[in-house]
Amino acid sequence: MVAQTETERARHYAPVRARRPTDFDLTLPALGLLGLFFVLPVAILLTRSVTEPVPGLGNYAELLGSSTYLQVFANTFIVSGLVTFVSLLIGFPVAWALAIMPNRFASVVFAILLLSMWTNLLARTYAWMVLLQRTGVINKMLIGMGLIDQPLPLVNNLTGVTIGMTYIMLPFIILPLYGVIRKIDPAILQAAALCGASRWQSLVRVLLPLAMPGMAAGALMVFVMSLGYFVTPALLGGTANMMLAELIAQFVQSLVNWGMGGAAALVLLIVTLALYAVQLRFFGTDRMGGR
Amino acid sequence: MLLNFDRLGWWKLVLIGITLATTAFLLLPILFIAALSFGSSQWLIFPPPGWTFKWYQELLADPRWLLSAWTSFQIAIIVTVLSVLLGLVTSFGLTRGRFPFREGLKALFLTPMILPVVVLAVALYAFFLQIGLNGTLTGFVISHLVLALPFSILSISSALEGFDKSVEDAAVLCGASPLEAKIRVTLPAISHGIFSAAIFSFLTSWDEVVVAIFMASPTLQTLPVKIWATLRQDLTPVVAAASTLLILLTVLLMLLVAVIRKGLKS
Repeated sequence: MVAQTETERARHYAPVRARRPTDFDLTLPALGLLGLFFVLPVAILLTRSVTEPVPGLGNYAELLGSSTYLQVFANTFIVSGLVTFVSLLIGFPVAWALAIMPNRFASVVFAILLLSMWTNLLARTYAWMVLLQRTGVINKMLIGMGLIDQPLPLVNNLTGVTIGMTYIMLPFIILPLYGVIRKIDPAILQAAALCGASRWQSLVRVLLPLAMPGMAAGALMVFVMSLGYFVTPALLGGTANMMLAELIAQFVQSLVNWGMGGAAALVLLIVTLALYAVQLRFFGTDRMGGR
Repeated sequence: MLLNFDRLGWWKLVLIGITLATTAFLLLPILFIAALSFGSSQWLIFPPPGWTFKWYQELLADPRWLLSAWTSFQIAIIVTVLSVLLGLVTSFGLTRGRFPFREGLKALFLTPMILPVVVLAVALYAFFLQIGLNGTLTGFVISHLVLALPFSILSISSALEGFDKSVEDAAVLCGASPLEAKIRVTLPAISHGIFSAAIFSFLTSWDEVVVAIFMASPTLQTLPVKIWATLRQDLTPVVAAASTLLILLTVLLMLLVAVIRKGLKS
């Protein structure tokens, strides 16, 4: 009895911080939401990939054994790789410029980066559908400049998807790269210059290696995001270069084949999670959110 | 030297050139669509032969466009309110809590942000088919909430981490109840995080396409689904008008965020 009153008194006079155990309870509503409407549905879908139409790994055998589906995997990796490469090529100089530009200049570029990032995805994709069509501005400009006679096929093919996806991914590579380059101590480069390095040598042997972790992390993120993209490839790509997300949608919506849809989804999920694991292992937890 | 703008020589010109070109690359398609939405040509010719408001008239006269915009708006507002409330409660738990596997829990809350949306879309579609939530407002709200919550938790958590908890404790020592201290002291102090959470949640839901394509029914669709369906048929300038209105909304919300951030700094 006495002991109990002691604890009660202790609880009553304990500082506010002693109420910690209830903090976990605060996360329960969100945990419930995610458990019921995120973890459970994904788990059910993945289970269906090994139970429908018959139990076993038949769906995976079909997915990985058919040249049609393997072509989709290849396309997904080719497009994502191309988009990552072009984004990095354009993104690095821009991030570098942003890191050293006078503030007022840089903040305008940042505003445009963020605006483009948050502008409706369909509006941006639609813009490229119009710009790249046979009678579109880009073809007209090229003809007007006398560079080509016939309009180039720029849309419904690899060119179209690559342009449209690079357009969407650029902010996602520029922002993390900017963060990394800005953290590099200018004194290191000054030292390189004092030791007789030319500008080119400082760039290739000092700045690039120092920025490498950021470049790799940003590139990996753009690559992973590209792998799962659906809307832009579906609208700007042709039937010949279908990507994985579209294949999943097609299995489920047009073919109503949940087994194959689930199997394709699991493949996408595993590749995505594996690449994120690589990212976490080598580049820490720093990353940007994306849609 | 390479990190000093003034001493970069002609490299500076190359860097500025690439940056300006990239900025134009990002900005021009958006402006181009806005210009075409006022162009009189059905075939989206640029520069347009004349200027007109007829695409906007067509857009606003079509009840299906208006209905889908209204559906999107309703869903986005409900999602925003729920996402901020849930984000607040969760962030308090995550930031203040000292329980084990807290980091793991935080990571779990952010996963909807990094997983391919199409996987979630297909999984929820199958699940909702079984429990009868497909094509309902509730189904839309739940699925968009799952996608918006990570942004909300991120914004509010980072605001809370920057807030000195001893101020809240001081209010309690001065006689406020713990809840009162949170509402009257902590909430105003982290209001910038709450505003960002609200705006990002709204935009996440309002702009969301992939899940919505699966959730939609012939009678209930969001604005992006309506645009998607229209685009699959033809490249009508009515979509340019709809896109321009969407872009305008984004610009306004981004300005709002900028004003709020600036107001808080000064």
